[in-house]
Amino acid sequence: MTTTTAAPRLHELADEGSAIDFCYEQGWTDGLPVVPPTEARVEATLAWAGRPPEEVVATHPPTGRACTVHAAAVNAVMAGCLPEYFPVVVAALEALNDPDYAFHGSSASTGGSAPLLIVSGPIADEIGMNSGVNVFGSGNRANATIGRAIRLILLNVFRMTPAIADRSTTGWPGKYSACIAEDESRSPWEPLRVALGIPEEVSAVTVFAASGFHNIENHYTNDPEALLSTFADSMRSLGALSAGQSVIVMSPEHAQIAASRGFTRPDVQEYLYAHAWRPRGDLRRAGKIPADAPGADDEPVHRGLSPNDILLLVAGGEAGGHSAFISSWSRGRGSLFQTKPIGVCLDC
Amino acid sequence: MAIRIFDPTADAPETGNRPAPRLARLDGLRIGLFTNSKVNADLLLRETAALFAERHGCTVVAKEGKPNASHIAGPQVLERLAANVDFMITAVGD
Repeated sequence: MTTTTAAPRLHELADEGSAIDFCYEQGWTDGLPVVPPTEARVEATLAWAGRPPEEVVATHPPTGRACTVHAAAVNAVMAGCLPEYFPVVVAALEALNDPDYAFHGSSASTGGSAPLLIVSGPIADEIGMNSGVNVFGSGNRANATIGRAIRLILLNVFRMTPAIADRSTTGWPGKYSACIAEDESRSPWEPLRVALGIPEEVSAVTVFAASGFHNIENHYTNDPEALLSTFADSMRSLGALSAGQSVIVMSPEHAQIAASRGFTRPDVQEYLYAHAWRPRGDLRRAGKIPADAPGADDEPVHRGLSPNDILLLVAGGEAGGHSAFISSWSRGRGSLFQTKPIGVCLDC
Repeated sequence: MAIRIFDPTADAPETGNRPAPRLARLDGLRIGLFTNSKVNADLLLRETAALFAERHGCTVVAKEGKPNASHIAGPQVLERLAANVDFMITAVGD
């Protein structure tokens, strides 16, 4: 199937307000009003692309629809992105386009996942992203609009329309926008991008098909293993247990406790993997697997396939014993997280 | 003041794909089953094929599938099926 793109179309409207209403009427929004993508706004955004506007960044396997740099810029403007956010949007789209991320499946599925974007590197501060207090919440333009740009691209370019191509049973609020920055300054470990093989001076975005958000609360213990057992307990919950990957966003307070007895990032990953399991009989009794599924009842079923399936980073406010476990979409390994450098090509 | 805005959508490319012609008859035809590996998919396909066998004397001659429901079927799998059957039964569901 060849992929060709038509010239961008323009629509003339009476004024900005009419344009906002027009976008609603066409079904081009996520339910919230969008910024009208005028020629001037799109041109200003394209100036940050570093590549031709007609270049295809991502292609939808089932339909062949292609998202060009130009189309990404139009949707980024609509999301409310400032032009300087655009390199992050493009890199996230490249990550989304990796076949191992499976953006069609993860967007169409009843599982209702949202692409969670994790930005690691100097660009986070440069564009004013939030990695601290209320990191998953509202209020920061960069976090809110970069994640939203990806959602609008999925809706408008790839037509992953709820109740038509998107069959999410419940969905979750991350489907409006799910984009955070790593707090390197308060992390006792190397930056996430370095752990994933990206040079420290290069910024990167990791995209993870996230099915939901679990708050992990523990305000009392100062013992690392006791603390991590709280995390493992959330990760092994019957409703979330699968062979899929996990994101652990550890608050600075929890990270300091974990590191206080020398736990490195790999140590934390290994502890969580080793302790996030249930006996197969639990799954059988809950009806999550058929009664005649192979395997003994006492056989351990771990979350994920290895410690490397756990993405660990530090973010959130300095105060509060609250961290987050983000579970992956799919009952298996339908999507694997993907990381791309922002604004540079490392393989060129 | 009038403004112009870009359209944020993209058109699907013209592929030339067309629906297969309607079968003139069903009697004695060869059936291929394609499963998306969801629970009970095999049962649904088998029971549906059994109705064709009972009513039209059709025979299941091939069974294929994909291990992951969320990924597209490999082109070789579909080509293999198309070469050996008269029609295929598949299903979309969870």
